[in-house]
Amino acid sequence: MSRPPCRLAALGQVSALGRERVEVFARLVAGASGLSLRDDFVPGRSLWLGAVREPLPPIPPALARFACRNNQLALSALESIGAEVAAAIARFGAERVGVVVGTSTSGVGDAEAAIAHKERTGVLAHEFHYDQLEFGGLARFVAEAAGARGPAYSLSTACSSGARALASARSLVAMGVCDAVLSGAADSLCGLTTNGFAALGALSAHVTNPCSVNRDGLNLGEAGVLFLVTGEPGGVQLVGVGDSSEAHHMSAPDPDGRGAEVAMRMALDDAGLAPTQIAYLNLHGTGTPQNDVMEAAAVARVLGERVPCSSTKPLVGHTLGAAGALEAAFCWLVLAERSGDRLALPPHVWDGARDPALAPIHLCAKGETAATGARAHVMTNSFGFGGNNCTLILAADAPA
Amino acid sequence: MKASLLRWSAWAPGLESREQWQAWSRAPQPLPPTGVPDAKFLPAMLRRRCTPLTRTMLTAAFGAAEPDELARLRTVFSSRHGSINESIGLLENVVRREKLSPATFSHTVHNAQAGLFSIAAGNRAASSSLSAQEDSFLAGWLEALCFLERDPREPVLLVVGDVPLASTFAPLCDEAATPYAFAAQVGAPGTGPGVELALGGWVDDPVTPPWPPALEFLRFWLSADRELEQRSRGGARRWKKL
Repeated sequence: MSRPPCRLAALGQVSALGRERVEVFARLVAGASGLSLRDDFVPGRSLWLGAVREPLPPIPPALARFACRNNQLALSALESIGAEVAAAIARFGAERVGVVVGTSTSGVGDAEAAIAHKERTGVLAHEFHYDQLEFGGLARFVAEAAGARGPAYSLSTACSSGARALASARSLVAMGVCDAVLSGAADSLCGLTTNGFAALGALSAHVTNPCSVNRDGLNLGEAGVLFLVTGEPGGVQLVGVGDSSEAHHMSAPDPDGRGAEVAMRMALDDAGLAPTQIAYLNLHGTGTPQNDVMEAAAVARVLGERVPCSSTKPLVGHTLGAAGALEAAFCWLVLAERSGDRLALPPHVWDGARDPALAPIHLCAKGETAATGARAHVMTNSFGFGGNNCTLILAADAPA
Repeated sequence: MKASLLRWSAWAPGLESREQWQAWSRAPQPLPPTGVPDAKFLPAMLRRRCTPLTRTMLTAAFGAAEPDELARLRTVFSSRHGSINESIGLLENVVRREKLSPATFSHTVHNAQAGLFSIAAGNRAASSSLSAQEDSFLAGWLEALCFLERDPREPVLLVVGDVPLASTFAPLCDEAATPYAFAAQVGAPGTGPGVELALGGWVDDPVTPPWPPALEFLRFWLSADRELEQRSRGGARRWKKL
C-alpha cells in the first residue's frame, strides 16, 4: 500500500548541541557531547545534564500567560523556521495549518516557582497562569505564536511523545484536515523530572554510556523541535510509523523487547521496506540496564547485526517528551546533509566495553559512513513510561 | 470528516447506566463536583495504584467494549488536566527539597491512565494520550481519526475524562469542574451510526458549556438534534448525525 507523501519541509531545533544547523550537524557527526555538570536540580547531587546554554527568546508580551522556559524552547525552534511557516500560512490559510506537539513536562518547571511562592506567602505568584502549566498550553502557545489557526493539541506519552506527534501530523495532512502542521516537541529540565528520575535510581553519575557493561543510567536533557509537515513530495519524507503498548509495567520495559520489536516491524511494513534497506538506526539508547538489553535484542531480531546504530543521548541527554522529535531531527540532518551516496552517521559515544549480555548489534564508530542507494532510509526508536513505543522511518532521495 | 460511533459508555457522579444518561440528556443539569467510581472490575492490587482520574477513565473504557476488544483495540486517552493534582504534591516535595516517591512519580505521567489500562486489559496495541485545554474532546476525536487514517479496519477506543483541579490551581481555570469520563468506539465511516465533524475558524465569542464538552456531545448524541455547534478559544466546530 502506498501512502500519500509527507514532507518534513523545514526544521527548527535547539538542544544541548546548539541551534544553528551547520554547527549542530558538525557536533552530531563528531560525537561532541553538549552535556554539562549541574548541581542546582537535585539536592546534594551533581548531575550531567543536556541543558540548552544559549539564551532563549523572550515570550512576546501579548502571550505572557504562556511564559515559561518550555515555551521559550519551542519559540526558539519556531523562530528558526519563521519564514517557511509564514509562507505556509500565506499559501494555505491560517485555518489550514495545525499544531501537534509532544511534551512530558510542559511548563511544570516554572510552576515550581509559583508553588514556592505559595509555600512562603500562602498564595500563588500573581503572574502565574494555568496556560503556562497545562499540557495543552504548549500547542496553544505554538499556534498563537505562529499565527496558525487549525486544530492544536499536545501529545504526552512520556518519552515517545515527540515521535508520536509527527505520526499524527502526517495523518492530519493525509486526511485533509490540515494542509500543513507544525509538529515536534518541547521538554525542559526541571526539579520534577530530575528528582523523579533520581528517586527511580535511573540517573547516571557520569555521561551516559549506552550498551556498555559499565552503563549505570541516563542523563536528562531539554530541547525544542518543530518541523513544518506538508503533503508535498520531495525533500525528507516521513515514510514509516509503527507503535505499540507493552501491557507490562509503568516504568520498565518488557525485558524481551516484544513491544519494541512490534513497533519496528510495523514501521517497516508501513514504509514497505525490507530491514536491509535501513541505512542507520538512532537507538532509544538511554543507557539504563533495562532499556539497552531489551532494545538490542529487538533490534537484532528485526534489523540483524549489520545495520549501523547509535544512541545520541550521550550528546544531548534524554530529552523525554522531546526525544522522539529531536532524534527525528538528527535523522533529518543526516539525510539533508548527505553528499553523494554516503551518509555521515552520528557515532555511538561510549567506553567501548560491550556488555556481553546484549545482542551484538552494530554500533557506529567515529567517522563511520553508510553507503546507500539513490533513496536513503533511516529509522529512530522511542520508548516511553507507561509502555508506549513509537518507531519512525525517514527517507530522502540523493540530491540532484 | 466522517466516522462511526459504535458504542459508548460514560461515568459521572450519580450517572452510570445508559438509562441514567438518557434521562440526563432529556433534562441536563450541571453535574456534582465530587465522586469516584468503585472500579470493582479492577484487581485490588491494581486498583490501589489508581488515582481518582484513572478509576474514572477506566470505568468508562471498560464499559464501552467487550473483553476481547479491550485487549485488542487501539486507544486514545484525552484529558485536559491529567495527573496534575498528583504532580502538585510532587512539586511541593521538590520546593521543600524532600525526596520524591518513585511510584508516585512514574504514575503522574500524562499517559498513566493509558499505561494502567494497557496493563489491566492486557492491551499491546498502539495508544496515544493528549491534552488540548477546553478542546481536549475534539482533539481526542481527531487523534482517533488519525489512527483510523493509518488503519481503518478496526475501531479506536477513545476515552475522555477529567477530575476537578485541586484548590491550588482550580481558581485559575474557567470550566465546569466535575469528575467524569466518556468512552466511545470510533470506527471508519459506514461501520455504524454516522457522525460528521466540520471545523470552522477562530471565533470571538467562545462559550464555556455548563458541563464538559464531551458530555455536551453525549447529550447531543442521545437527543433528537441533528447538529451541534461548539465554540471555544480554539475555534468553532459542528457535529452532525449522518
